[in-house]
Amino acid sequence: MATIAELLERSGSRHSGYSYAFLDETAKRDLRRAMLKAVAIPGYQVPFGSREVPVAKGFGTGGLQITLSIIGPGDVIKVIDQGDDAGVNANNIRRLIERTTGLDTTLETAGATVIQTRHRVPEEVLREDQVLVLQVPYPEPLRLVERSQTAARTMHAEKDYARMWLALYEDVVRKGEVTIGAGYPVVVNHRYVMASTPVPRWDLPKLHRSKALHLFGAGREKRLYAIPPHTDVAPMEFEDHPFEVEGFGGTPCARCGAAATFLTERLNADGSRTLTCSDTAYCDLRLTGGKAETWY
Amino acid sequence: MVLALLTVRGLTKTYGPACRGRGSEGCLLDREDDPGTSSCAACGLIAACSDVSFDVYPGEVLGIVGESGSGKTTVMRSLYLDHMPTSGEAYFAAFEAGRHNIFEADRPQRRRIRNYLMGIVYQEARRGLNLLVTAGGNVAERLLAADWRSVADIRSKAADYLARTEVPLDRMDDFPAFFSNGMQQRVQIAKALSNSPNLVLLDEPTTGLDVSVQAGVLDLIRDIRRDFRVAIVVVSHDLSVIGMLAERTLVMRHGRVVESGLTDQILEDPQHPYTQLLVSSAL
Repeated sequence: MATIAELLERSGSRHSGYSYAFLDETAKRDLRRAMLKAVAIPGYQVPFGSREVPVAKGFGTGGLQITLSIIGPGDVIKVIDQGDDAGVNANNIRRLIERTTGLDTTLETAGATVIQTRHRVPEEVLREDQVLVLQVPYPEPLRLVERSQTAARTMHAEKDYARMWLALYEDVVRKGEVTIGAGYPVVVNHRYVMASTPVPRWDLPKLHRSKALHLFGAGREKRLYAIPPHTDVAPMEFEDHPFEVEGFGGTPCARCGAAATFLTERLNADGSRTLTCSDTAYCDLRLTGGKAETWY
Repeated sequence: MVLALLTVRGLTKTYGPACRGRGSEGCLLDREDDPGTSSCAACGLIAACSDVSFDVYPGEVLGIVGESGSGKTTVMRSLYLDHMPTSGEAYFAAFEAGRHNIFEADRPQRRRIRNYLMGIVYQEARRGLNLLVTAGGNVAERLLAADWRSVADIRSKAADYLARTEVPLDRMDDFPAFFSNGMQQRVQIAKALSNSPNLVLLDEPTTGLDVSVQAGVLDLIRDIRRDFRVAIVVVSHDLSVIGMLAERTLVMRHGRVVESGLTDQILEDPQHPYTQLLVSSAL
């Protein structure tokens, strides 16, 4: 068992004034304890003492604290922002992790052990030995229908989700379908209604019985929750208005030609628009002729 | 002997600490007669209602009449479990076969009583309706709480109830915020009736409505009672409303029941001085 000082020395950390992985050991222990509870009660929001990290609140501090408390020697880290490894937010967080741990980072989904992400789930199927850490802006799915946090917690405790169902009913009645695009509410393990972070509806089927552990952290709201591997995750839907993922009208990715991935629109210099894969790592993999197991 | 649908005994709701047993005057709560006030001179305790007991039988309409501040609404909100009374018991035949005090029910049981076994119509529609949700959605809320998961089924059921309460169906997907007060009350009644409750509580259902609309709502309540065979407790400060609807009536004043009996009897031959005043001022 290596001491923290040894770990720091071995990793060649350039910030010798800080603990390994920035957070102090008590903070990490507090987070891990909360995570254990979250895993034990899938979809339940566990409060934790959110620490200050050198990232502004609202820019992934919850996900970052989870990542920092679960990583150690041997881990390979990947950070993505809206599917993109090159996002400013992703770059900053990746650099912070590198400098405070000396761990290797990667752009490849298959090569990572811990993937921190904002608003997307990778297109490649995750394995048992991988952990997906999601940054959550608003952990409370009932915020839409109940302003009081105390009342919302009581509703969770009693599994009283009639008001949430009513909101979906109203949407169907007035607009013909449920119009929630990202962060569609899901029922985890047949018990808790959970905010699926703002991942697009496209990504929700990937959460159902996934082999990987999913951890969700909301730093500003001081809540974290989890979907353990092989857990049932079901979108809230009506019998006669089933849940549907987004469609792109059969348009393939303009870069790699993939026919069934989640696409993002890019504005070109001449004002025209092209649709390319939102998951840049998967797009690159296809361009270099690599193969990976996907969800489709 | 007919078994009561609802048996209420010693329902008391007070605010502030009581001086029972202390002081020489005796606390308001210990007095048997009408103390002439709802607040105790010795300890400042407010008794919104004290020691209210009555029975409601299946299919009957019980009226509660009294001036404002007499505790009528407090009794209704206690029965609907909006708030918990300070003391008292209520046994409801539809809940655990009437063996358990509904005021001791835990939260899921309380929710079951409110969502499935009782319906309520408040005086102010905004208390009973969510004005930011369509009229149909307000009725649907109780069905969704009962695990209905088909939009088409919910809509046809909600439309059925709204039609019964004479809400035009082309307004079903409009917000009740844009409805007249009378129509809001009819939506509230439709909502209270969805899920076929055993008991409906009407708290001043026609107060604030103009006379012709009042008549329409009263007719509707009478029809509902006949069609649904549901027991109703109706609260009003208006003796003519009580006279039209209720077979039996309680007269409340200062949080206490001062007189009770057949409505006709109370209207024709009032015994308590307050009831006499009430009847003579109504005429």
